[in-house]
Amino acid sequence: MLEIADLEVAFETRMGHVKVVSDFSLSVARGECVGIVGESGAGKTQALLAVMGLLPRGARVSGSARLQGEELLGRGAGALDEFRGARIAMIFQDPLTALTPHMRVGDQIAEVLVRHRRLSWSAGRERALELLRAVHIADAERRLRQYPHELSGGMRQRVMIAMALACEPDVLIADEPTTALDVTVQAQILALLAELKRTRGMSLVLVTHDLGVIAGLADRVAVMYAGRLVEQGTARAVLKAPRHPYTRALLDSMPRLDVPSSEPLRAIRGQPPDPRALPAGCAFHPRCDLAADLCRSARPRLRPTGDGMVACHRPLGAAAGEEGPTS
Amino acid sequence: MFRYAVRRCVGMLPTLFVIVTLAFFVIRLAPGGPFDEEQTLPPEVKANLEAAYGLDRPLHEQYLRYVAGLLRGDFGPSFRMRDVGVSELIARGLPVSLTLGVSALLLALLVGIPLGVLAALRERSITDHGVTLLSSLAIALPAFVSGPLLALVFGLYLDVLPVAGWESGQPRYLVLPVVTLALPMIAYVARLTRGSLIEVMRASFVRTARAKGIPESQVIRRHALRPALLPVVSYLGPAAAFAVTGSLVVETVFGLPGTGRYLVQGAINRDYTLVMGMIVVYGSLTLLCNLLADLIYGWLDPRVRYE
Repeated sequence: MLEIADLEVAFETRMGHVKVVSDFSLSVARGECVGIVGESGAGKTQALLAVMGLLPRGARVSGSARLQGEELLGRGAGALDEFRGARIAMIFQDPLTALTPHMRVGDQIAEVLVRHRRLSWSAGRERALELLRAVHIADAERRLRQYPHELSGGMRQRVMIAMALACEPDVLIADEPTTALDVTVQAQILALLAELKRTRGMSLVLVTHDLGVIAGLADRVAVMYAGRLVEQGTARAVLKAPRHPYTRALLDSMPRLDVPSSEPLRAIRGQPPDPRALPAGCAFHPRCDLAADLCRSARPRLRPTGDGMVACHRPLGAAAGEEGPTS
Repeated sequence: MFRYAVRRCVGMLPTLFVIVTLAFFVIRLAPGGPFDEEQTLPPEVKANLEAAYGLDRPLHEQYLRYVAGLLRGDFGPSFRMRDVGVSELIARGLPVSLTLGVSALLLALLVGIPLGVLAALRERSITDHGVTLLSSLAIALPAFVSGPLLALVFGLYLDVLPVAGWESGQPRYLVLPVVTLALPMIAYVARLTRGSLIEVMRASFVRTARAKGIPESQVIRRHALRPALLPVVSYLGPAAAFAVTGSLVVETVFGLPGTGRYLVQGAINRDYTLVMGMIVVYGSLTLLCNLLADLIYGWLDPRVRYE
């Protein structure tokens, strides 16, 4: 459905050319949910904004991103507009700032249909009403005529989702869709996404730093660190038996219910690296307990392991003889 | 919103009262009086004149009489223009001044906003730098320089427009004064629009609109422009005040029979009632423009509540 290959994103800044995403390849099958995890600044959002053609001016994008075989990158904004909102849609982190403050939410939803389905505004609003009901907004007739600031955070995110679903896109990209919401609302929104994915056979790309979200929704997981993919595999395998020490550390840093709360959280030591000055070798080695000489000098390639991929010289759980450090 | 507007109008009365009171006493602080001239009048004549206009009474009594007159809608007689009341002078000059001021404001919006949008969309291009440069020039040039320059070029060299003067029903006479008055306002409006549109175009909701596949021209018109115009609306109040003060100079330069020159003449001649009348009129206009700006603000941004 969506095939991203060798994606690279760089920004021209006063400090020079800064690469924020390198060698990023990912494929998402029909009806599949792929989660992309990593710390802030790992390049998750940048990679997907690049696919949508939404990066600010000054960004340099190369590589390829195909939607059902059709290349998205390198198209002018005009040609891309035929895809965006119709066949590939995106929802954003903070639904208050992501909705236009002076437009009624019904009109913001109808707008997509007027644009892509050539509906009249009144037909668009009628359809918007159905969409609001589909994302379980109570009292939808009234909400339709309200402005974003009159809705709660959860309702705003439902509006965002309704907007993204309006044209029944093949792929929905959700960039931290629940980060700005409180926990109970988070669960409702995730349940809604799961339901839509199941009932509509839509592919879902879910960007998050919350592994709990991944566990609940994703079929496969891609872990990003410092602009690169470091591990990829089925959600079950990656969460249960991570191969990359960074994934392990991410999992360990999560608060857990089955561990006494007196036990301190294990934060990952150090800071995410500055993309302007990445460490040599494996970008994670300064924070890795297992780092060896090789890790400091040579960058590990993404290699297949079992049913996934990992970019590590010393992957965890490698049985003797299977995948030891390459000499 | 109607109730809000009515309440605001009522709220203007105390403000106006303060303006009237301050102005009344400040004018009297200035040395000299309406009947002091180079050629001194015989003391008896002067005493008679002052008695006729009530200027021989104590100051607080004069003040009370003036305020009482105002409440009846009477601006009093002009001290210097014999046989003409201030109300009549205002009625004669205000239509010209209002036409000038309102046209200049409209021109500023009609030209300034598109210029600002153009500059913002081509940030750091030649167009952008050109707009910035020209607007700095327009803001820096005072009307008594730009007015005669325009008159020279369009009135004398090109001979397409009258240099000065006024004939009612002849809009040709208004063109140069309106442009002169509007130039700095166009520049301000263009700069404000440019700056805020550049900022709004980086907003998250603009990105959402693009993600929906909305063509860029509609993204700007439907999503970005309204919030970008908020600073321009805030500028309307000060702009109105500028149109008023600017009209003093422009009306003098182009010899228009507006009210601006009354304020200047009145101040020079110590024509107390005339100056007071102009202050009341200009004060009310400025307050009204501020109210108008607040109402437009609410229309542009539904988050604004009138309470």
